[in-house]
Amino acid sequence: MSLAVATLIDVEDLRVEYRIRRQWHEAVSGVSFSIARGEIFGLAGESGCGKSTIAFALMGVARPGSRITSGRVAFENHDLLTLPERELRAVRGARISFVPQNPITSLTPSMTCGRQVAEVMHFHGRARGSAAIRETLALLKQVGLPDPPVLFHKYPHQLSGGQQQRMVIAMALACRPRLIVLDEPTTGLDVVTQWHILKLLAELRDRLGTALLYVSHDLGALSEICDRIAVMYAGQFVEVAPRAELFERPRHPYTRGLLESIPRIDRPPGERPALRSLPKRAGLAPGCRFAPRCDFAEQVCRTEDQRLTPAGAPHRAACRRWPVYLSSAAAPSADPARRPLSHDRSPQPGHDAPTLIDVCDLEIAYRRRFWPWRPTADDAVVRGLSFRISEGETFALVGESGSGKSTVARAMLGLVPVRAGSVVFEGRDVTLPIAQRPRRLKQLLQIVFQNPDASLNPRHSVGSILRRPLAMFHRLRGEAARQRAVTLLSATQLGADNLARLPKQLSGGERQRVAIARALAAEPHLLICDEILSALDVSVQASIITLMRELQRERGLAYLFISHDLSVVRWLAHKVGVLYRGQLCEIGRVEQVFAPPYHPYTELLLTAAPRAIRGRQAIPQAAPRTLPALPGGCPFVQHCPRRIGGICENVVPPLQAIAPDHTIRCHIPATELRVRQANLAGMT
Amino acid sequence: MTAPIAPEEIGIESAGRFPYFSDLALSARVAAVILAGFVMVAITGPLWAPYGPAAVLVGSPFAPPSMSHPFGTDDLGRDVFSRVIFGSRAALITSVSASGLAVVLGTVAGLMLAYWRGWIDELGMRLIDILMSVPPLILALLLLSAGGSDSLLPILAVAILFAPRVTRVVRAAALAIVTEDYVTAAVTRGESALSIAWRELLPNVAGTVFVEFSIRTGFAVVFIGALGFLGFGAAPPSPEWGLMIGEGRSSINASFWPVIAPALSMAVLVISVNLFTEGLARLIGQSGRPSIRE
Repeated sequence: MSLAVATLIDVEDLRVEYRIRRQWHEAVSGVSFSIARGEIFGLAGESGCGKSTIAFALMGVARPGSRITSGRVAFENHDLLTLPERELRAVRGARISFVPQNPITSLTPSMTCGRQVAEVMHFHGRARGSAAIRETLALLKQVGLPDPPVLFHKYPHQLSGGQQQRMVIAMALACRPRLIVLDEPTTGLDVVTQWHILKLLAELRDRLGTALLYVSHDLGALSEICDRIAVMYAGQFVEVAPRAELFERPRHPYTRGLLESIPRIDRPPGERPALRSLPKRAGLAPGCRFAPRCDFAEQVCRTEDQRLTPAGAPHRAACRRWPVYLSSAAAPSADPARRPLSHDRSPQPGHDAPTLIDVCDLEIAYRRRFWPWRPTADDAVVRGLSFRISEGETFALVGESGSGKSTVARAMLGLVPVRAGSVVFEGRDVTLPIAQRPRRLKQLLQIVFQNPDASLNPRHSVGSILRRPLAMFHRLRGEAARQRAVTLLSATQLGADNLARLPKQLSGGERQRVAIARALAAEPHLLICDEILSALDVSVQASIITLMRELQRERGLAYLFISHDLSVVRWLAHKVGVLYRGQLCEIGRVEQVFAPPYHPYTELLLTAAPRAIRGRQAIPQAAPRTLPALPGGCPFVQHCPRRIGGICENVVPPLQAIAPDHTIRCHIPATELRVRQANLAGMT
Repeated sequence: MTAPIAPEEIGIESAGRFPYFSDLALSARVAAVILAGFVMVAITGPLWAPYGPAAVLVGSPFAPPSMSHPFGTDDLGRDVFSRVIFGSRAALITSVSASGLAVVLGTVAGLMLAYWRGWIDELGMRLIDILMSVPPLILALLLLSAGGSDSLLPILAVAILFAPRVTRVVRAAALAIVTEDYVTAAVTRGESALSIAWRELLPNVAGTVFVEFSIRTGFAVVFIGALGFLGFGAAPPSPEWGLMIGEGRSSINASFWPVIAPALSMAVLVISVNLFTEGLARLIGQSGRPSIRE
């Protein structure tokens, strides 16, 4: 690619520092890159590597608590870092625009969406009055929003997450910018919505020639649209390469580690996490910053700084060992991280395994009936849900956000009232609110939450967090409790030195381990894991998955694993239930669910997963559509790519038993589904 | 040269470190020094004050400031300087205990309302609305006239007056926390309401509670002064600042020193408390600045 000719923005030796504990620390250390006109440039890296800081610097902004100490951001004959604020404002939003991670916080809640988009044009003097409204309507259409005149007058909270993100993209496009900086634009969205947004972005680039800087921790998303990708580690670029090259022949050990860490649907994860975790609070030594985690580092790596240099065109990598490394990478069997795990999960308990928990026809509604004797409109969040978990088994509940997954978890803990159905745990009906549950039951059913930041009290030390359940359930105090806490920490691969630390002093992965250790302290039989991986980086995810497997093998724990991530579920669960709008549309053993015939929703989830995760190209057969909501019929009918007509809209689909243990709720006969999905057979 | 940060270090920010005094804004540090001075005077004052608080005719009445009487003398020839010093002890003790009592009551109520929510919360909040709809001074006077002339009574009245306001603030802060997962985790463990309030909620609203205590102390100084001024607080010849101002007011034409000296002391004390509180609130990371007035 001849970049010199058509360079749009050129960043040179950018350095940004943050003030932490009254000292300046460098978060971006001399990063240089350029983006060509119409190019989609990806910026990948784990949390805290400085990628968002770069995104902000491209807008000429130093985030609060930071300062840009050197560098140049050349854009259209200006250096954005020295441009006066007044002129910078004319560039921002008009020539370069920004799409932040969370659309709902970047839209004003008290203003209709249309007006917010029109305001951008007005502000930059592009169009005003009715002209602005006309242009806005055209924009909304362009970003694929249905029925622009209606959505124009809606408030942000009335839109779905995907529509909100489209609205923000429309805003970013309002002045036909040359460059759009996107900071994790699809991170909060489910795979199907993400697939649509990525497709939209690629289309916009093709049609308008807008360049994109796409910042994300999610290599899967980047693998879908980027032309070139830069991988960042500890404030430096470690590798820059065209997409296909980067994914197929990564030069830097860190890049490869990241790629290996991506949970894939088509390939079991490695025997151990592909990336070693960061040495604890060691700070960064001189030399290559990745050296402490690198399997290929030699003495020189620890003393000599590594700069980005050509590493076999078109790669550029910051690793002096890349040729050696590349040849050894060709022999994957030597590396235990790449060797697929032979017995990845504990063997599936047989049919005679005792049932641990039996959920039968569960119906949950948050709103109570005003008049108890009068039926209200059907407002159930979860309906007719039945599943069973045997001892030592992992049952995964999969679905997009809002499908009711977490509600099921909360209901099983007795935190939300159950309207109908029953939960039988170890032979006893436990459909009780938490206050009425016996202590023993509270002990045997434990939960780990999604976000360890929120599930650990920031004011309590790790030791005090762990001692509490020990005191409550096992009456352990003093030295005995301390010793048990140390045992728990080591079971979750944490050192005893963490006892005195506060949650804030731990990394995200360590915090989640503490949360798991706290749940284990009770010695539960069933551990409910509510999206416990989604707040973590991929390399950390991999180590938590390994930990979960080990715990299951050692303690015979059963898991209810709630997740939106099919690729994780594929290799961790024994049985899978796919939840859509509070109803199970497919349930079966993992190898059954991941092979045709699929329920059309399962099929959509599988095909919409990014290529890096899916492993093989497959495009949804038909574009999902949006139809008005109907009272009866199949809940998925609005988005179903395989809808067969009126029956789907009017008649509740039947449960079809495909095989023992495998059920699909669909009108289309299983044999026909199997035929239509034949081309997907090899996918998994 | 700056040290590079490891990937996971961003966001740790002064974790687990108790704030240093020098983290406070300059105004707050100055205020803290003044406050420390007040406390010292209140503790040691009686040891070195030149005259007793009730010693009459130690100078001629209405004498202007001089070497022997730095703030002059009042209508009975009492040394105003000594009286202000003796008064500082009363001012500090009454305001701190009134606000302390209000904060204890308000925190317990606020945490419980936030934890229980539902109709208990609704009932509690409406009760508080009723209490707060009565003008504060009138409510205080009502309580005082009903209770007689115990010297503890002003403290109690002010505490009762402030407690609902503290409740509101603490409840609001705790409401943001009860939805956190660690509270849910405690609920699923089967912790009692009291232990959740004490272990999970209180540590996280402690900053708010302390700031609230500090603001209320400032208000209490003025409020107790106002009660004294109106004659409902301490009885003569007590050197209570509000009472001194009230007594000196009638003869302000003869000498304004008996009024100015306690008034200024009160003002400096209240302003110091407020500046210190403001600095503290900012340090703890509370949004906005606590207002000086309600």
